[in-house]
Formats: sequence, C-alpha cells, structure tokens
Amino acid sequence: MKDAKWTWRSVSLISVAATLLLIVGFVYAVGDIINPQGEALTGSLPQETAAPVPAAAGEVKILALGDSLAKGTGDNSGSGFVRRTLDGLTKDGGQAQLLGNMGINGLTTAGLQTKLKEEGVQYALRQASVVLVSIGGNDLFRGSDILGNGIGGEAGPAGADQTPAADAEGSTNAVEPGGVLDGKPSALVTSTPKPNEDELTPEALLAALPDAAKRLGEILETIAGINPEAQVYYVGLYNPFGDIEDLLVPGNQAVTAWNSAAMDIINTHSNMTLVPTFDLFNRHLDKYLSSDHFHPNGDGYQRISERIVQAIR
Amino acid sequence: MTNLLPLIRNECTKIIKKKRFYVILLILLVLVPMFTYAQMRIAERSRDKFNSDWRLEIQQRITDNQNSLSSDRIPEEWKSYRRIFIQQLQYYLDHDVNPNEPSGVTFTREFLDNSVSLFIPLLIMAVASDLVSGERTTGTIKMLLTRPVRRWKVLFSKMAALLMFVSLIVLSVFVISYLISGLAFGYKGFNIPVFTGFQLSGDTVDMSGVHSVPQWKYLLMQGGLIWFVSVVVALLAFMVSVLVRSTAASIVVMMAALIAGTILTNMAAAWSTAKYLFMVNLGLTGYLAGTPAPIEGMTLPFSLAVLSVWGLAAIIISFAVFTKRDILN
Repeated sequence: MKDAKWTWRSVSLISVAATLLLIVGFVYAVGDIINPQGEALTGSLPQETAAPVPAAAGEVKILALGDSLAKGTGDNSGSGFVRRTLDGLTKDGGQAQLLGNMGINGLTTAGLQTKLKEEGVQYALRQASVVLVSIGGNDLFRGSDILGNGIGGEAGPAGADQTPAADAEGSTNAVEPGGVLDGKPSALVTSTPKPNEDELTPEALLAALPDAAKRLGEILETIAGINPEAQVYYVGLYNPFGDIEDLLVPGNQAVTAWNSAAMDIINTHSNMTLVPTFDLFNRHLDKYLSSDHFHPNGDGYQRISERIVQAIR
Repeated sequence: MTNLLPLIRNECTKIIKKKRFYVILLILLVLVPMFTYAQMRIAERSRDKFNSDWRLEIQQRITDNQNSLSSDRIPEEWKSYRRIFIQQLQYYLDHDVNPNEPSGVTFTREFLDNSVSLFIPLLIMAVASDLVSGERTTGTIKMLLTRPVRRWKVLFSKMAALLMFVSLIVLSVFVISYLISGLAFGYKGFNIPVFTGFQLSGDTVDMSGVHSVPQWKYLLMQGGLIWFVSVVVALLAFMVSVLVRSTAASIVVMMAALIAGTILTNMAAAWSTAKYLFMVNLGLTGYLAGTPAPIEGMTLPFSLAVLSVWGLAAIIISFAVFTKRDILN
C-alpha cells in the first residue's frame, strides 16, 4: 500500500510538472510561429568550422561545375565523365577524391554565374585542386529565350525522360526534329514551349555566341579569382546535330566558333586547359550519343574522361 | 469536487496496474536504438563520401534538389517543396551553421519531427483506446457505475488520468531518445543554433522572420506542439473507446484514421477540403521547421483551430454518450 502511495505521488507530480512545461513550450511555439521576431544575425553564432583536412600530397580533389554533361545525363550508369575521370585517375593507384558534382541539367552560362555567387559553391571551389567545367551547350543550342529562366528553371533535355521510343524509331529522319531535341515525341511535350527546329538556324546559333562567350570568360575569371591554385579543365563542345543534314554545317560552324572563342579565353590563363571533344563525336554520333540525340552515352563519356585524365596527368 | 482526486488516483493506478505504460516504454527502448543505429550508418556513410565536410554535403544536396526541379515528371507540389528546402539549406550554408550537426539532441529533434504524426499518436492510443471499452469488455464498468458517484465524474477522472499519461508519454519519448542516441552521438548539443521562422508563401521563403534559437528552446517548443497534438489524439481515442464496445475495434478505428492521415498528407494536395480532417493536421512541428504544409492554405492557427474543434467535439460526444447511455451487457 505504501508502495502504491509512492507511485501515485511521483506519477502525479511528474505528470503535472511535465504538463506545465509542455504548455509553456506550446505557448512559446505558437507565439514564435505566428509572430516570428527576425533578428539581425550577429557574429554570435558559434563558428563550428571544422578546419578542412589538408590535402595529402599528390591527391587530386575534383570539383565538377556546369550543365547536364557535368552531371552525366545520358549515361545509363549515372557516372558521367566526372566519375569516369575519377575512376581513370585512381585506377593505377593514383589518389583522387570527388568533392562534389555541381552539374545541373539545363544550366547556362548565366545560370552558372549566379551559382558561382553561392557561398557553398565558392567553399567547394576553394577546397578543389582540379575543377572540371562543362558549360555553353545550352546557350548555343537552346536559344537565348531560356536565359531568363535562371538556374535549372526550364526542362532540360530531359535525360531522365529518355523514352525507348526515340531509340526504337532508329533513323533520325523519321523522327520529328523537335521530338529529337527533347528526347521524346513532341506530342507528349506538355511543358513550356521549347525552342524548336525553326530556331536552330545558323544565325540563331551564332547570335547567342558573343554574349555567352563573354560570360564564359567571366566565369573562368571568377573561378580563378576564388581559387588561383586550382587547375581548370574546360570541356569543349561537340556538335550533336551532325546527323541531321541541314544542321551539320551550321552546327559545326557554331561549335567551332564557340570552341575557338573559348580557346582564346583559356589561353590567357596559365592553369587552364581546354579539353576538345569535337573530334571524338564528329561522324560517330550514333555510337557515342545517348538515345536523346543530344547527350553522350556511357561510351561517349568514357572517351571524354580519357581525354581529361590525359590532360590532368 | 472532494471526491474527484481519489477517483483520478484510482484511474491512474489502474493504468499503471495494466502495465500499458511499461509496454510503451519497452517499445521506445527497442525502437529508438534501431533508429539511432540507422542514423549512425547514414552519418558514417556521408562522412566517408564527403570527407566529414558538411558544407560539401549540403551543397551537393542543394545541387541534387535543383536537378530534380528540371524533371517534367515530378509533380508541381514536390517541386515547390524542394524549392523551399533548397532556400533553407542555402540559408544554413550562408550562415555557416550545420543543420545536421550530429548530437543526441539533434537526433531527438529529428526523431520528434518524424514521429509527431504517427508514432507518438500510436503510443497515446495504447493507453487511451481501452480506458472505457476495456472496462466494458471485462464487465468492471458495472462495478464502477454502481458506486455512489455521478457518471460525469467517473468519465472526467478517466480523462484527467489520460491527460496525465499523455504528458508522461511525451516526456518519456524525449528522455529515452535523448539518453539512447546520446550513447552514439554524445550528449552535448543543447546550444547548437537552429533556424526557425521561415515564412512560406507559395514557392518562396520569406527570410525576414528567420531567427536562431538554441536547440533546447527548439525542443521545448516542439514538445509543446507535440503535446497539443497528443492531447487531441488522446481525446479522440477516448471518444472512440466510449462509443465502441470492444477494445480491438476501438484501436482499429483510431489506427485506420491515423494511417489514412499519413496517406492523405502524401497525396491530398489536390483535394483541399481534406484539410479539415484532424489527421492531416497532426504535423504541427512542420510549421516550426518551415516545411510546407501538406495542403495549401494550412497555417498553424488553422491547424490549431481544426484540432481544437475535433478535440472539443470529442469531449462533448464522450460525455453526452457516457452519461446518457444504458450500460447493458
């Protein structure tokens, strides 16, 4: 009986105390959520900055920046040239580490500029010793009307949405060009209007070039400013439309113009390298492009990564 | 009034004697180590991948979420959820605060966030669902009602005992998850800043109200909100146990309602009147963390109002039915 009394006392005391505490918390929470008091964030926040581990000598720290190519869209294994480069570097016992892959589908030069202003990206850049950049394809091939959408705002070439249909139809001529670009039959495209075949004229391709090239220069400048030590490898463009008769010549011209503009910029920096890909894909599009006819497939990425490994070593 | 306290005491003793509360403690003691272990594995893996640099990890999470925004197949609601999530992560990154600093306190905070809408209500039900129906199943209700005590007092004492145990359950969830996860992650971390006050409007987050609170204060606020949710669930389960004769049926009714709630929150965005159901409104802690509500138009005052109405209705129905009904067996 005495035991029961003791139990009752402790249970009632604890529960009443807990109830009061929880009610206080409840009132406080409601007040805080309904009427939040914003505060100027002062330096009072504890600096829990764990000092980054210093790089082991000879270890390559890779950071990838850019568009869907950096992300690896079209590679069924999901590796892209970034992971494949990493694999290539570590294969013979070399030390390499991937800090992060900041590739975003559909990113344009303007989008990358915004992204470079982000603290997290800058932080990752400062840690890197090798920066792989792939950018510009979306500026060139996807019309300038997209630029306003900012980062990843528009539907990318939708590598994730590859339909087997595009593959099955085989001959590219049988597929409506608009559908080819999106990687799926155009009837299924329900999202915002995308640049179609009509805009892929030589003039349109070249029109976007001067502005985009200027932005590319600024981007590389920014990267060098954030981390002057890092080696920057810029992945040149290839012409994904070489198998469409009307687009072969203008596409080649535009891509060559872009690559030479990029080369002009890169040559002014001592620790930057342009990794050409034009020759890897020219005349081999059916072998090295994925079913969306825009992004490389696994083998295509493998070829790019071999080039990059050669450049880094 | 004088004979209420002995009645409440009597009911408390009954709950303790039935060992329901110990079962709840046992469930917690078994499950929390499992969650802790899972969390530990996640932490280990990301440590391997990102070389224990949380900034790189957060940045990669931001990038991954941005990438998923461009996919046409992802429903628009998920996209806006991710846009909000990105902005919050960015805020943490910009202010150099690790949102997932591993510690026992952080684990407790996340555990409470995840358990508010299903796990804790289930624990509450374990006590609440057989308070009245259990007496009917065993026939002891007749003994209780033949005493010279008015019926509403009997019911009131049961309800009071229930509310006492609700507080105890919320408290023990906190204490047990803190003590056990502390073994793995350390017991420090009460002063780590957590950001709250994200005001959501559509896709964008209004950062003007954002402020940092030390984690202990955040836990206190969380506890308060969870307590409110638990009280409402307890009252509803109590009502069901008054209405339904068998304990099993009463548990099934409440379980079905709660599970329906979790399913609905995942897919009800298009059916906006679902927001008047109590089970969709259980995730009160989401308002604290700044996660978007499952259905557009839900705010904290709205959810509180909905829950209060359901809770009050449950009280009224329980008393009306219990005092009027004939007890036959």
